[in-house]
Amino acid sequence: MLIKLTGGTVYDPASGIDGQIKTLYVQDGRFIKQPAADVQVDKEYDLKGKVLMAGAIDMHTHIGGGKGNIARMLIPEDHRSDPVHRSDITRSGCGHAMPSSFATGYRYAEMGYTTAFEPAVLPVNARQAHMEMADIPILDKGGYVLMGSDDYLLRMLTAKKDQKAINDYVAWTMNAAKAIGVKVVNPGGINAFKFNQRKLELDEQNAHYGVSPREILQVLATAVKELGVKHPLHVHGCNLGVPGNVSTTLDTIQGIGGLPMHLTHIQFHSYGTEGDFKFSSGGAQIAEAINNNKNITADVGQILFGQTITASGDNMRQHANHGFANPDKWVCMDIECDAGCGVVPFKYRDQNFVNALQWAIGLEIFLLVDDPWRVFLTTDHPNGAPFTTYPHLIRLLMDKSFRNDMLATIHPEAQKMTTLGSIDREYSLQEIAILTRAGAAKLVGLDDRGSLGEGAWADITVYTENTDREQMFEKPDYVFKDGELVVVDGKVVHTKWGTTHIVRPEWDTSVEQDLQKYFERFMTMKVGNFKISDDEITEDGRGSLTTHSLNGIA
Amino acid sequence: MSALTFTVKQATQQRVDVSPLVCHLLKDMTLADITAIELQNGKRKIRVDELFEVSGSDSQNIVFRKSFAKLDFIGKELEAGSMVVHGDAGAYFGIGMKSGKLTMEGDVGLYAACEMKNGLLTINGNAGDFLGAALPGNKQGMKGGTVLVKGNVGQRAGDHMRRGTMLIEGDAGDYCGARMIAGTIAVMGNTGQFLGYAMQRGTLLLWKAPQLSATFNDCGSHTLAFLPILFKSFSKFDSKFAEQSVAFNRVQRYGGDMAEKGRAEVLVKL
Repeated sequence: MLIKLTGGTVYDPASGIDGQIKTLYVQDGRFIKQPAADVQVDKEYDLKGKVLMAGAIDMHTHIGGGKGNIARMLIPEDHRSDPVHRSDITRSGCGHAMPSSFATGYRYAEMGYTTAFEPAVLPVNARQAHMEMADIPILDKGGYVLMGSDDYLLRMLTAKKDQKAINDYVAWTMNAAKAIGVKVVNPGGINAFKFNQRKLELDEQNAHYGVSPREILQVLATAVKELGVKHPLHVHGCNLGVPGNVSTTLDTIQGIGGLPMHLTHIQFHSYGTEGDFKFSSGGAQIAEAINNNKNITADVGQILFGQTITASGDNMRQHANHGFANPDKWVCMDIECDAGCGVVPFKYRDQNFVNALQWAIGLEIFLLVDDPWRVFLTTDHPNGAPFTTYPHLIRLLMDKSFRNDMLATIHPEAQKMTTLGSIDREYSLQEIAILTRAGAAKLVGLDDRGSLGEGAWADITVYTENTDREQMFEKPDYVFKDGELVVVDGKVVHTKWGTTHIVRPEWDTSVEQDLQKYFERFMTMKVGNFKISDDEITEDGRGSLTTHSLNGIA
Repeated sequence: MSALTFTVKQATQQRVDVSPLVCHLLKDMTLADITAIELQNGKRKIRVDELFEVSGSDSQNIVFRKSFAKLDFIGKELEAGSMVVHGDAGAYFGIGMKSGKLTMEGDVGLYAACEMKNGLLTINGNAGDFLGAALPGNKQGMKGGTVLVKGNVGQRAGDHMRRGTMLIEGDAGDYCGARMIAGTIAVMGNTGQFLGYAMQRGTLLLWKAPQLSATFNDCGSHTLAFLPILFKSFSKFDSKFAEQSVAFNRVQRYGGDMAEKGRAEVLVKL
């Protein structure tokens, strides 16, 4: 099947193309060079006057794993009020804040997204996470495996095992859980919660293991780098949501010593303690630190107003925040002594001082970070807002007067505490394409995605230019996934199944001897069952695995 | 004006959601508009005039005739006016009712008066399980108004009930008043096992001695001055509860459920 896409205005930062009119050719799912004149084109789309970008990539969104299901059970009213009826092509489902798996796939695709990554795959729950993501149609997916509060690693650190042993354990876990990256959530804090610590500073020791978050971050970031994993250590830092945590975050940035590190939902880690309410914006300081430290990348975790539900592995902080639950119900738990989970419904309100300032802080960070390749567009779905709010967020970034109109409606004290009104920057289409496509693909380490260049997989989103960017990004004209047309005029017309992106770093097989003993003694699962085989993802015929290259290793 | 009457032509195989046929939604609609409404019937849609013979014009006074047990959501969120149903009804009868009067001549299914807010809901026949309860996963059931049942009710009547009055002339099933937050349930007939299971506050008023779990404490016999006032408030109903002969003011009082807040009471006629 040879498809010709004629005359669209192409924004492809990965190939350095910024708004040039081009004709693209797709053969069997991938972009190819212009074929010889006598080759017959099977299907031609006239895209004159349309905007072409690669399929968007959400590099941090909670779409698979146990806490999503807990969130769904916790807010049945959210699901009842938002039913999705079946059609001849799509299945039924429901849910606004935390949609069902099928609805997640359709809604993402309808906004022009073709790939999404679950950032909190707990190794012991990885099978469930992959099976749930296997039920998300159209999208490619992948996961970052959650480490840093697991007893095995903390035991290794207490026993002063060398970096090589830790690298082997990290690589073994990534392979066992089929991950593409490594995430750490509140390093060691989830574990410390079990020993009655209710907060853990960067240099505070875990009461039982005597290990500090800083040490955990350093060994894991080193392991990720030495294994050649392209996605830097994905860090949800200490003290999420605590006023004054901007200093912790700056300290984390300095303390990593130049190693590559990705700071996730950084908006929640950028709070000062100034002003009458002892809560202020650290957005400018954080943005400056990101600008000055080229090893640091960040996604924002923008909050947007309305009902949502926060679902996090950080049960220490979720426990601390449960008093703000709206509606008033919440869940916190330990999971297999490996990590935790906290689910708390939230309603962000523009007339609430803290919420309003959080909103402004997120936008400040977006607009003050100079390099669009090192900042990413997320709401930390569903924590800051459901992913369906992305078109609105894009408009806030691209349209200064709209942003200032919105700013004028929020809590007046919050308006005084933010410099947002004085920031003139407006994102261009090319920069949005970097944030949501090329940059994300590069960060996660996807070899042939996020680009419209020759050889890349043909994930394409086609928009009609519209000065109202919200309308423009809400409803793409066409979305192609691997060269197949899946969405027309913002509606799914065809479904297919995406692949699961992984990496396979190497390790010394002898590590399993000690793990075997540990599992026999402490875990509910045997090592053999813990490891996910390739077949489990591919055997039903609709899933597949795509292995990406490692840095310095072919 | 005569009552707007929906007479069932033929019972359907699949369940029907008749929630659009309530007084406040039909207020300004012509008869032609009403007959053209499409109701969800299983996975298909069915027009009102395919299912019902429609007559009359007073949309604030609705009557269902030959109703059958697959008509769900009758009187959903009723805001005003009066509705009378002859025959039987399915699940969610009077769900979220806000005001007005809703009367059932026959039996109703699960979740009648579910999360009801106000108004008077009368069931002359029997009610199914979860009368006045919360929807699965929700935290609060009935929040106000009065439910009067002349027959028996199923299990878990008043589950998570928050406020309001439930008057039951017949028997109540197991778990009556389970997880009740507040409000009053009066049962003239027998009650089943696990009465008031995990009840926080509220009152269960009984004519017959119940089977109580060990987490209820006997607080002795009392003469309560509020009871005659409460019974007087029932005198406006067309019910046995309005009769002088059923009233009493001398009770055995039990406190519980001590496994919960323990501020609820079970009052049994002496």
